[in-house]
Amino acid sequence: MEFNAALFHEFAEALNSENGYRLAKTLSPDIPNERLRAIFRSQNAHSIKNALKRGLQGNAALTLDHQTVQGWVEIYAAYWNATGVILTARESDNDSSKSSNLVWTKVYEAWTELLNALLRGYQTFGFEAFTIPCLYVVCKHLRAFAIQADEERNRNAPFDNGATAFQDDFDPETNKHQKLEDCARVLSRVFMVCQTDRAPLEESRKWGSYYIANLLLKTYFKLNSASLSKNILNSLRAGGRDMPDFSLFPKSQQVTFKYHEGVLAFLEENYIQAEECLTEAWNLCHKNAMKNKELILTYLIPCHLIKSHTLPTEKLLEPFPRLQKLFLPLCRCIKRGELHKFDLALQEGEDEFVKRRIYLTLERGRDIALRNLLRKVFIARGFEEAKEGEKPVRRTRVPVAEFAAAISLGSQENIDNDEVECLLANMIYKNHMKGYISRQHGIVVLSKSGAFPGTGV
Amino acid sequence: MASSQTATKKEDKPADPKAEQQQPTAEQKQAALEEDDEFEDFPVDDWEADDTEAASGAGATQHLWEESWDDDDTTDDFSAQLKEELKKVEAAKKR
Repeated sequence: MEFNAALFHEFAEALNSENGYRLAKTLSPDIPNERLRAIFRSQNAHSIKNALKRGLQGNAALTLDHQTVQGWVEIYAAYWNATGVILTARESDNDSSKSSNLVWTKVYEAWTELLNALLRGYQTFGFEAFTIPCLYVVCKHLRAFAIQADEERNRNAPFDNGATAFQDDFDPETNKHQKLEDCARVLSRVFMVCQTDRAPLEESRKWGSYYIANLLLKTYFKLNSASLSKNILNSLRAGGRDMPDFSLFPKSQQVTFKYHEGVLAFLEENYIQAEECLTEAWNLCHKNAMKNKELILTYLIPCHLIKSHTLPTEKLLEPFPRLQKLFLPLCRCIKRGELHKFDLALQEGEDEFVKRRIYLTLERGRDIALRNLLRKVFIARGFEEAKEGEKPVRRTRVPVAEFAAAISLGSQENIDNDEVECLLANMIYKNHMKGYISRQHGIVVLSKSGAFPGTGV
Repeated sequence: MASSQTATKKEDKPADPKAEQQQPTAEQKQAALEEDDEFEDFPVDDWEADDTEAASGAGATQHLWEESWDDDDTTDDFSAQLKEELKKVEAAKKR
């Protein structure tokens, strides 16, 4: 929208109808080049503030006090300035000869000015809470610009591996996310501005807390900082009583938040909470959001394996070829109790599992594979000779040697007896198997009622 | 997460100088570039209960997870091998 009567009209309409999302559109950079150019050319740096002031004050449809007008003038002036910088950046991206000027860093800086002007609106000029979608749009793009600026800088200053190898004190990692780290600091200020608003709930900026929290969580995840993410969760939890009920927030915000909360719990090996959060995210997720559903399942599947010892069905994995590739080989080995093949499958997928940070959790699935293998031995041994009129009883005294044979079957490696007993003792300790080892007789005496708890035998 | 991203970015970006022209889709492009492991923005803010995963899989939720063992699947090679092996062990003992 050009910075003339059209903008002032749209602004008045959005404000009078208290439509924050409509208002936020006037601050979006997400528009084609021609329109950016039209905005930029409709004013000049010298006269823009006066023009804005006249336009906003002179609009008969609006009755804004002097301060509020001042606030919006600063905001639109900052936005106008940013449009020029963005145009330059986009044009230079298309012209490789100019690409070394760190244009996206300038965009990031110009956009930060816009966000600061907007924040002043809330902190000094008393902007109403319905306008917070403006914060959403500006914050969301601040993060995108920060990432672009970092990429551009890293691209233009390729690290000379030969030279830097001798400089111990030079860590390219620290500089890699410079702007994104700055962005995280700015966003956490915005978060506080929302979170600490004391106005009555219906007109409180607290309604913006989860949107901004989600942006922050995404940012911290990218920066690999679980501890900073925890701070956000704690802050929301501490403010819990004064917050609107979580279920009243838009589902996009609920799902995104629950996903991040769940993954954080997962990384702390708090699988109960992780499963709870991820299940909630899964249930509320839009049915067509395949990518996000895939991400939720990436963590929910290992959770289920550890917590309830259940595996995904083929039906569940059907729409997700990548998850099939990731999990199906492991699942098959677990089901059949193929211990050795399980180890191979884990090795095979190691890089991918480590990258997704599920390796350690999946590794614990080996217990379930072992449980299933021992269970198979138990079942294969059949029943005691049945006495007249009694229910057949399984043979519960299993020689350690049989378990040992089963365990070394896949790898064809002989493992010594102590090691086998150790594995068995662990199974008993973890309550995957009920019974005791009689070392004297070299047998395991299993419980007659539920030798393998929860598995029907 | 972080360390794995650099490699792909360095390859992808210069190869596509026109990428920035599609600025309106910057967000999506971003997701595609970075090993796509970031939770995506939903195209809409909110949706009806009917459009949730829970509703679309209505009643089928219990079919999504299964027990980790399978007693029916005893025909695979491994099960057969195992039975052979156990017989051997038992035979060796009786001798």
